[in-house]
Amino acid sequence: MTNTQIPAVRLKQPAAPPAAPPRPSARDRGTRLLATLFLAPTIVGIVVFTVVPIAGSVVLSLFHWNVIDDPSFAGAANYGEVFGDSTVLVSFRNTLVFMVFAVALQLLIALALALAVNGRMPVWLRSVFRSAFFFPLVLSAASISVVMKYLFNQDFGMVNWLLGLVGIAPVPWLTSENAAMATVILVYVWQQFGFSFLLFVGGLNNIPKEIHEAASLDGATGLRKHLNITLPLLSPTLLVASVVGIINALQVFEQPYVLTNGGPGDATRTVVMVIYESAFEQLRFGEASAVGVLLFVLIMAVTALQFRLSRRFVHYQ
Amino acid sequence: MTDSHLTRRTLLRYGAYGAGAAALAGTAASWDRLTGADIPGRDDGSLVVATLGPAYGPEAIRTLTEGFKQVHPDIKLRINAVQAVDWSDFFAKILTQIAAGTAPDLVYVATEGVQLFAQRLGVPLDRWVKRDAEELREYFADVHPSLVESMMYEGSLYQLPVEFNAADMYLNTQVLKRAGADFPAADWTRDDFTALLRDMKQSSGSQFTPYFWTNRLWGGVVPWLFANDTNLLTESKAPGGTWLWDSFYPADRRQGRGGGFRWTTPQATDARVEEAYDYLASLIQEGLCTRPEGGNGQNLIGVFSTGRVGVTPAGGFWAGGLHLAGMKADGFDVQYFPRWRSQRMQYGAAGYALLRTSKKQEEAWEFIKYAARRDTLTRLFTTNQTTPARRSMLTADRYRESGPAHWQVFYDTLDKFPDTGPIPAPPQVAEVEQVLLKHTGTALASRRAVAPALRRMQSDLEKAMERDV
Repeated sequence: MTNTQIPAVRLKQPAAPPAAPPRPSARDRGTRLLATLFLAPTIVGIVVFTVVPIAGSVVLSLFHWNVIDDPSFAGAANYGEVFGDSTVLVSFRNTLVFMVFAVALQLLIALALALAVNGRMPVWLRSVFRSAFFFPLVLSAASISVVMKYLFNQDFGMVNWLLGLVGIAPVPWLTSENAAMATVILVYVWQQFGFSFLLFVGGLNNIPKEIHEAASLDGATGLRKHLNITLPLLSPTLLVASVVGIINALQVFEQPYVLTNGGPGDATRTVVMVIYESAFEQLRFGEASAVGVLLFVLIMAVTALQFRLSRRFVHYQ
Repeated sequence: MTDSHLTRRTLLRYGAYGAGAAALAGTAASWDRLTGADIPGRDDGSLVVATLGPAYGPEAIRTLTEGFKQVHPDIKLRINAVQAVDWSDFFAKILTQIAAGTAPDLVYVATEGVQLFAQRLGVPLDRWVKRDAEELREYFADVHPSLVESMMYEGSLYQLPVEFNAADMYLNTQVLKRAGADFPAADWTRDDFTALLRDMKQSSGSQFTPYFWTNRLWGGVVPWLFANDTNLLTESKAPGGTWLWDSFYPADRRQGRGGGFRWTTPQATDARVEEAYDYLASLIQEGLCTRPEGGNGQNLIGVFSTGRVGVTPAGGFWAGGLHLAGMKADGFDVQYFPRWRSQRMQYGAAGYALLRTSKKQEEAWEFIKYAARRDTLTRLFTTNQTTPARRSMLTADRYRESGPAHWQVFYDTLDKFPDTGPIPAPPQVAEVEQVLLKHTGTALASRRAVAPALRRMQSDLEKAMERDV
């Protein structure tokens, strides 16, 4: 008799019926209802003022519409027009150049000033600096640009007058192709860096002092502490500031519109300016919507790229 | 895979949600498009007149409404003063109102928009003008035929002009005195003008620029093109209009008049256009004039009244502007634009256009007539913020307090130079203006930049003119 082992048949145990989710109590239901009610205005607002207009723009980009006549279906013709229009392409290039320099400068200045203000100084002085750096942000971009246009006027502006006092020839701040973009960036950064500055101040305050103290005990110097401790721990704030900064910079309108009206030539014409001009001056709402859709895609792509890169560079405590 | 437990109750609930959403979507889709006019209380039965906000303050609106009420107590009037920085911005806002379904009955339209509104939105006034010819005879006798012709499109009249502004030369008398220069003669030439700028520059400091101009369709490069006997677009006259000229103007004043202006083929590369640009580029190079981006109307009054600018082109509107800014009547004066190949000058005019969508067209016509009356315009234009279209309103008394001494220049620009014409403003004016401003900026970077920039301007203008509005 052979000793054959009869494989044990593992009988499949009948699966126990999954436990039914506990019925929410009356209190839970009330909490959910309350949460829904609190969220409803925001959700309705987002749907009405963001989702619907975006969907509307996508639809409108497939039509020719001049406000006066009924819209006519155009398929992808508006996109063809947009890609064949050198002004639109130049405006995308200008906007990207603007974004790179404006955001980099804005973050650098904001971070440097936040570090400085977070250093040793009387509390009242710190408050003065915080308010002063944030103040331009609460002013209207259009009115600031009007004032700056006076200041940077080549012939009658105060900036050139001051430079003249020290023997420097008038600078064509707004009238030379190269200087105009730099001036627009300067004006924009001057107004906008206060937001990043406040974020950085908040972020710096959240870094535990013990870590810096421990690093000091280990002999780390000021710069090394900033590079190895402050910046990594501030990286989530840097991510938020750069995402918001890039989204805002890609939508820049008021400063170039008021300061240079996109000139000289197309040197400072941005994408949103082209959208405005196509729609409200030339009555080409279909083309304007097509440019808007492309800008939306660009913003989404840049933001997605930032979040992807953030996995490597952003450290959460 | 998770085992879902969809109870019959839940299924029924979601089914009900879906049916409700479908019902809502179906109802919304089956409705006619809602417009602003559907908002309760929005349409109170008034005759709605849209005007350019900055030019019509509360006092002007009160003057118009109260005066009209006295004449037509049965017609309810509402003036909608639309705030806008310029005519282009104003038209954009009006078109947005039209798109929203809240179109006004009448719109105050300047030369820049006459043909756009006439072609796409306006109602010809011909039948009413013919019907009320006797009543209007006095009006036409008082208004230069060129202004009337500028409001015609393809043989029909679309507006009665109530104001205009020609580009004349304003001179700061203190700067003239400082330069030891005399007030220029009426027939001064481009060379006289250049010599005057040089004299002014030599006698003033480094913070002084003799000639200030604004890069825009009215009063920018265009007056120089006219003076050099050319234009941005070829100009011709539409046939027709004899019904009006024969009815209201004597033979000598209707000669050469047609059914309105036509601006068609771009001619930015025309030798005379290039010559005009080259001249302006040379003035900039010599430091005699501001660069195009440097000039704008906002700071012009300040720099002119303080003697940092000697000469600038402006219309009758600036007499009131300088006076309000505190400049004395003898602090400035005005002369015609200098002669080059011709002394043809440019102007822009404005009046009320009646929209096709209006359901109160008879009432609107009554307002148009009322707004063109002498007594209405006298009450409305009290501060010389414009040049009235009626010749009889330009009197010494009107300009005694504000100046200038040579106020006659304003209307004589039309009377003594009958070929003086409107700025080129075809229905595609918005894009034409944008192309002009953009390439003027690059053309005047240097004298070498003129020809290439004008070639690009020509190409862009051709594209703009090919497009339907």
